[in-house]
Amino acid sequence: MEEALMSGKISTEGLGMPVEIAAIDGELRKLWEADEASTNASLMNFLVYTEDPHELTANSKMIQKLTREHACRAVLIAMDRKAPKPSVAAWITAHCHLAHGKKSICSEQISFLLSGYSFGRFRNTVFAHLNSDLPLVFWWQGEISDLFEERLYSILDRFIFDSSTWSNPTEGFAKIMEAREQTNDHMVTQDLSWTRSYHYRLAIAGLFDDPAAERSFFEIEEVNIVAQKSQRTSALLLLAWVTEQAGWKTGLELGLTAETNPENGESFLFESKEGRNIVAKITWDDDGAPLSLLSIKSPDCEVKVSRQEGTSHLCQAICTAGHCLNVSGPADADDPEGLVADQLSRGGKNSLFLRMLPRFLKLL
Amino acid sequence: MRQNRCSGIANGTKEWQVRGVSNPFREDLVSRNLPEACTVVIFGATGDLTHRKLIPALYNQAADGELPAGVKIIGFARRNWTDEFFREGLEKLNREVSRTGHDEEVWASLASNIEYHQSEFQDDDGYRRLAERLDAIDQERGGKGNRLFYVASAPEYFDDILLHLKRAGLSDEREGCWSRVIVEKPFGTTLATAQHLNEVVNGTFEEKDTYRIDHYLGKETAQNIMVLRFANAIFEPMWNKQFIDHVQITCAEHLGMEGGRGGYYDQAGALRDMVQNHLLQLLSLVAMEPPTDLSADGVRDEKVKVIRSLRQWDTPELVAENVTRGQYTSGNINGKEVPGYCEEDRVDPESETEAFVAVRCMIDTWRWSGVPFYVRVGKRLPKKATEISIHFKETPSVLFNAAPGGVPDGNVLVIRIQPDEGISFRINSKLPGTTLRMEPVKMDFHYSSSFGKSSPEAYERLLLDAMAGDATLFARRDEVEEAWRFVDNIENAWHESDNPPLMAEFPAGSWGPKEADEMLKSEGRKWRRL
Repeated sequence: MEEALMSGKISTEGLGMPVEIAAIDGELRKLWEADEASTNASLMNFLVYTEDPHELTANSKMIQKLTREHACRAVLIAMDRKAPKPSVAAWITAHCHLAHGKKSICSEQISFLLSGYSFGRFRNTVFAHLNSDLPLVFWWQGEISDLFEERLYSILDRFIFDSSTWSNPTEGFAKIMEAREQTNDHMVTQDLSWTRSYHYRLAIAGLFDDPAAERSFFEIEEVNIVAQKSQRTSALLLLAWVTEQAGWKTGLELGLTAETNPENGESFLFESKEGRNIVAKITWDDDGAPLSLLSIKSPDCEVKVSRQEGTSHLCQAICTAGHCLNVSGPADADDPEGLVADQLSRGGKNSLFLRMLPRFLKLL
Repeated sequence: MRQNRCSGIANGTKEWQVRGVSNPFREDLVSRNLPEACTVVIFGATGDLTHRKLIPALYNQAADGELPAGVKIIGFARRNWTDEFFREGLEKLNREVSRTGHDEEVWASLASNIEYHQSEFQDDDGYRRLAERLDAIDQERGGKGNRLFYVASAPEYFDDILLHLKRAGLSDEREGCWSRVIVEKPFGTTLATAQHLNEVVNGTFEEKDTYRIDHYLGKETAQNIMVLRFANAIFEPMWNKQFIDHVQITCAEHLGMEGGRGGYYDQAGALRDMVQNHLLQLLSLVAMEPPTDLSADGVRDEKVKVIRSLRQWDTPELVAENVTRGQYTSGNINGKEVPGYCEEDRVDPESETEAFVAVRCMIDTWRWSGVPFYVRVGKRLPKKATEISIHFKETPSVLFNAAPGGVPDGNVLVIRIQPDEGISFRINSKLPGTTLRMEPVKMDFHYSSSFGKSSPEAYERLLLDAMAGDATLFARRDEVEEAWRFVDNIENAWHESDNPPLMAEFPAGSWGPKEADEMLKSEGRKWRRL
């Protein structure tokens, strides 16, 4: 690892001052003593883990933005598992910003670059650098590896991941479900692929308050979702939500299958409580927004939420008998730190997501 | 068969209700009552409140995605303005004051749903045209006919507006949809006028559809009082006469009568303007028993019990003993010379109106017996600050009375309402060194340091609550009347008795008259230094 650091292959820009592991607490204290004008604020331990060491500086930049709204002790850990011999490097810094244009509020950050294999080192690094009593929010970037084990997840309060980055979501979710079971559902789980559709869900719920949409609910024939192919889990979670909330049975349970061309998208069949068939199609469009359309159609009404690539608003529409009611509302963030920030603001136990999961796993 | 606009179906009942379900997409989505689409009619739409508070609040809700789709806004006022002129003025102010900034797209979407309705407040025809306009909106939008009337006009028009709404049938119950009214303060000027206004309001709208706004209750820190008390197990067991020595509620304002406010203020005074509503509301949140649930009536039932339990200062002697009123004389604030109250713009030079009042409130309940709640409010005090401080009793003097400094001060829990919202707790700590010396230290929580995201403005929360039918943060009829009963007794002693308590004086920029300090000093206490 020293070689990689020395040669500049792994950037340390923005990570702050290099420190000895054993001296971290002392050096942090000095950092605050040297700056009497700033306030050290922290509402949580926020741990970001990646197995790509090159992400360390990018994560530090994300923390800089995130701490504007969420004061925390940030602990960034990057693991270079391929390195031949074990070693550890650490840095400390603080991210400061002016709160309401006046007071300088700072969040401290400790960064670790762990190389090679050493039993229990990752977990113990986490344990040793937490602020006591504050909740521990853990953002795991990328695939869930074997380091995600019981003694680690048993101390987490909130676990954030993005299933759209996984090569095998079925396997990834199995690990998450096992962790939840082991922790008696104490650990709150948050998938950024679910967060990505928050404003779509809010918009659909609002639109179905309209009498025209209300009537059409009982005659829905078609659901269409358009998404980037990389956002398959986001699209499936959204579809799981629509169909679960509507109380439709999945065709899979009924032995019904829909024709699908995997290149273009996926199709599913559902059956309403009244016995009607509903076709759901997911179409891939890599040129559009991550999620660019959710439309719910009945013979006389279409409820539609859409988003153009690069815009920060959702277009919401109810079209019936040639007349459309259009309104716009906010869209979900595209960048992971924006999604994480939104998720942290909302808090909660994420119970709706958990309720969706069994159906989502069937669709997966 | 004519379609019912509220429900969209022929028999007037919501489709969801017919099927025995509610909108399934709403389920578990957000943990609050959800606002429903409606048309908001604002009376007094050309005024400052509409431009600076109400429209920016609706804009911020839209920017945050909280405003339901299909909300329409109609500004009702006397001036001869066009829709376009009205919108331009609103946009200009929104750019200046909006909490979330001004996004052209969000504004365009909101503005396309804003209209102006010109009419005198006493003009039958104006209300008839309003009714036609509301019907047409429902028709063309295919939306629900929910209506939210916001009475933000000068108080002398409240009666006219409410009576005309009734006459035009705009408050009539319609199956499957609602009509609600939000009434701004002042809600009366005496118990009698408040009772009269309540008669008029409740003759037009049912109490469940009446929302008397007190924007202090929409403030984040005011809402946090219940959370602090009832979601933290350490406080509630100590929240009583056994452990609390006294409570102070201060609302200090460094401004005087700038901007022409002297005209209104000199008629009202500090007691009516602030104590009757905001400060008694805060007091009731601090002193109430735990509600059985968080429903509007669950919370308000407990609050009204507190107001009803206030010991009445109903003789001039009792008022002289328990209330101090005062006017500021000329002085200096922030290095600037400022005039005395009676020299202020639009204030009667012979005015007998108080610009400062301090009240010792006694709550005659089992929990608070013998615990004074000192409430003070005033203009031209050294700084702007509203806070509640809970002063705990001192520890027994057996251990530390021999130590330098003697018995340590009692703990103080401070809830800062504004500015710099937060909570602090004063505890005693040993000073480092070989001797036993103690000093108070402060544990301090600041909203702005801990939560970077700005809190919604009080009006944002309250407007959404009214659209959602949640009246928890609005004052109920009995609360308002009980508060007036308490205030009226004091006002009567000041203005109706042969032997009225004196009007004290204090220099502008100081913390009020010495008589207010004496009130606490006589009991071995003092006002907290802010």
